Amino acid sequence: MTIVKRSMITAVCVALTVVLPMAFHAVPNAGSVILPMHIPVLLCGLICGWPFGLACGLIGPLLSNLFTGMPPMAALPAMLVELAVYGLMAGLLMSCVRTRKVYADLYFSLLVAMLAGRIVAGMARALIFAAGSYSMAAWTTSYFVTSLPGIAIQIVLLPSIVFALERARLIPARYPKEIVLDGSPGLDSSE
Amino acid sequence: MSRIPAGMYIPGKSFLHRLDPLAKLIGLIILLAAVIAASSPGGYLLLILFIGVLLALSGLPFKLAIAPLRRTYLFFAVIFLMNALFFADVDPLWTWWIFSLSRTGLIQGANVVLRLAIIIVAGHILISTTSPMEITAAFRRLLKPLQYINIPVDIVALIVSVAIHFIPVLAEEVEMIRKAQTVRGARFDSTRLRDRAASLLPLVIPVFVNAFKRADELALAMEARGYRGEGRRVSGPEIAFQARDFGAVLIMAAICAVQILVL
Repeated sequence: MTIVKRSMITAVCVALTVVLPMAFHAVPNAGSVILPMHIPVLLCGLICGWPFGLACGLIGPLLSNLFTGMPPMAALPAMLVELAVYGLMAGLLMSCVRTRKVYADLYFSLLVAMLAGRIVAGMARALIFAAGSYSMAAWTTSYFVTSLPGIAIQIVLLPSIVFALERARLIPARYPKEIVLDGSPGLDSSE
Repeated sequence: MSRIPAGMYIPGKSFLHRLDPLAKLIGLIILLAAVIAASSPGGYLLLILFIGVLLALSGLPFKLAIAPLRRTYLFFAVIFLMNALFFADVDPLWTWWIFSLSRTGLIQGANVVLRLAIIIVAGHILISTTSPMEITAAFRRLLKPLQYINIPVDIVALIVSVAIHFIPVLAEEVEMIRKAQTVRGARFDSTRLRDRAASLLPLVIPVFVNAFKRADELALAMEARGYRGEGRRVSGPEIAFQARDFGAVLIMAAICAVQILVL
């Protein structure tokens, strides 16, 4: 993918970090349970690579705060750290992990990125943003228990979106089918 | 969804409209610092008075300036009540079941709501008096020093600019897909979180596919016109800071200093 296309995909993912949560603002706490803002950032990292995933994770929450007031200013710094790590790790792992199976690459990168983002955001809260008043129980509750539906949605949804985009030929296939040069692909030699 | 403030630039010739967009952006960042530092009634009063002055200088109707607050009053009420009723305090004013109303909780709730309201109105004034193109250009100028550490500032500014333009377009698209899927039986209007979560699946995949189609078309059009994402882009004459822009930034810095050192 060219740098221009990566930039444009990152731009639409940033726009979606603003637009998607708006569809769920009517339900109290839907943002912290369904986590709609995480989906475009993780997807951007998986598809465009770590620099663009990182940019999406930093710009998305800032723009969303400016345009809709969400996430609130008090939660913004920790959220910036969390989403930046998601985009960064998803991109890094997708470029490093190559198992020759798309599902395995996707799930490994996704799960490790999700875990890394939560750990780093928890550490940032405990050491910087809420130093002294943040506990392990609060971290487990906010990042794993409350957001369990959101985690499940991301695990189901993100690989499906990647496959839908590959099928629509909007992103290149990770492992393109090899074409046999000395004959038609898929033809049996006996035919 | 159709009432979002995105792209709600209102052309005008007020003092704030004429101010350098970079000065407005720096001013907003300083104001955010002042809001975070505020904790006393005097500090909040100073910020509210300052927002009133900004509103007068912007020439915007009062109703329009506070429109984002009217749309999010339910959110403010929930935030205030959650702080007021669940704040652990040794000397509660009233307790019942899991609820515990305390003076500290009430103060905490008022703090959060006031901070949020001031930031939302300030951001809204910036967006209403500055066109998206001006915000992008200001953003590019603000990030310019980062190019010395090899951060591609032009690409970042391009991403921000395209994203700002895409927000209203994609919001319309989400609304359209939401309606189409509602006709097919999706339950977006349900107040139950489980139904809402389940309704996410038929909404998100078409939204992403359509959004990526737009990104693909835009990238193709840009590449066809020779854009490669490298080199310096020509984007009109560079604007120089004038005395009034320096003055505006200095006033914001003074308010922030008073907030941190005195109030």
